[in-house]
Amino acid sequence: MSAGFAAKRLGKELQKISTSLPPGIELVTAENFEEWLLDIKVLDSNPLYENETYRLKFRFGSTYPIEPPEVVFIQLPDRPIPIHPHVYSNGIICLDLLGQQGWSPVQNVESICMSLQSMLTGNSKNERPPGDEDFVRANRQRPKDIQFYYHDNDV
Amino acid sequence: MAKPTQLKEEGNRRFQAGDYVMAEALYSQALIADPSNPALYTNRAMARLKLSQWDSAVADCTACLALAPSNIKAHYSLSQAHLALRAYDDAVTHALEAHALSAKAADKSLGTITAHVLKCKKERWDDAEKRRVREVSALEREVMELLRREREVAVREAGGDGLGGDALQREVDEEWEDKMLKMREVFEKARPVEEQKRREVPDWAIDDISFGVMVDPVITKTGKSYERASIVEHLRRQPTDPLTREPLYAAELRPNLDLKQACEEFLEENGWAADW
Repeated sequence: MSAGFAAKRLGKELQKISTSLPPGIELVTAENFEEWLLDIKVLDSNPLYENETYRLKFRFGSTYPIEPPEVVFIQLPDRPIPIHPHVYSNGIICLDLLGQQGWSPVQNVESICMSLQSMLTGNSKNERPPGDEDFVRANRQRPKDIQFYYHDNDV
Repeated sequence: MAKPTQLKEEGNRRFQAGDYVMAEALYSQALIADPSNPALYTNRAMARLKLSQWDSAVADCTACLALAPSNIKAHYSLSQAHLALRAYDDAVTHALEAHALSAKAADKSLGTITAHVLKCKKERWDDAEKRRVREVSALEREVMELLRREREVAVREAGGDGLGGDALQREVDEEWEDKMLKMREVFEKARPVEEQKRREVPDWAIDDISFGVMVDPVITKTGKSYERASIVEHLRRQPTDPLTREPLYAAELRPNLDLKQACEEFLEENGWAADW
């Protein structure tokens, strides 16, 4: 793909999301075309996530959007890691959409945020993925290189 | 004397290393020994583009095309040289030629060439727009100057016979002031500021993968159109429809000719959108 392909597309995405974003999604910083930060909130009254704001870190490679971005939750004093059977306590997200197989280049930053919002909204289990502690201790791989086993695709 | 192939390889090495002067000289030597090798001309053209020797790059591409009329690199380099020389129509023509050949051959360069087509169209439009603005503002200066002179004459003539001249002069002067103001408003309205507000690209013209205006839209089995370069790049990685995830192969894509024409027409009117 030609050089600057990712930058060009991200420039256009940025132009759009700087002027309007769906409710519960906010752009925090986007100073370059490598890493963006966004905040998301769950808007309904799911007691697991009510009144909380979560910080997402997007990292884009030069082949975006042909390849998916890397998306993780990051922890700050006022930004916890949401509890969810597909979110490890170090912020790594196990979501089909963000994997090599589930990704599609028509997805974008906004649609990813919306998918994550609905992934949280639809959850009622107050638990981490099985083997969370071991995974968090042992994992040295980048999120997109991890071969997740999608053990319960209905969550 | 070294063989042309050795000279060419050494030239390629120098080119890779960024030594375009030496690369150009080596390709020239190779061409003396083997003047009918199209690749030597395109290689030298690329070195000459790097050295900003536009005219001699054009000569190399033309020589190559005489030997190999459907050489993608020759059309592409020729377009780049014409663009640098501000021969915008030629730049667009050869960019489109390179694009068509690249699409037909499913060449890896399709993405780069697609971007180049848009760049040529954008620069051609910018140039026409600049000229238009320059012409309008020259005309504005001229018209205002004529009005100013007419006003002087009219005011002078009104004061000619002395009797009640002052009041009449004032009246004529005010009348002309009003005329000039109205003329200025007319020019003001014609300024491109108005256009800036309407600068929106319709969704139908946009490729959902690159988010750029489509140059060569192709349609999938499900009826959705994408820029050829974008969807082909995606299918190379994963042969599925981006929307439905059903199997999809590059051979199943069909050109969407009506949409292509609509995009072309849109760009003719809105050249700024080429790098929107």
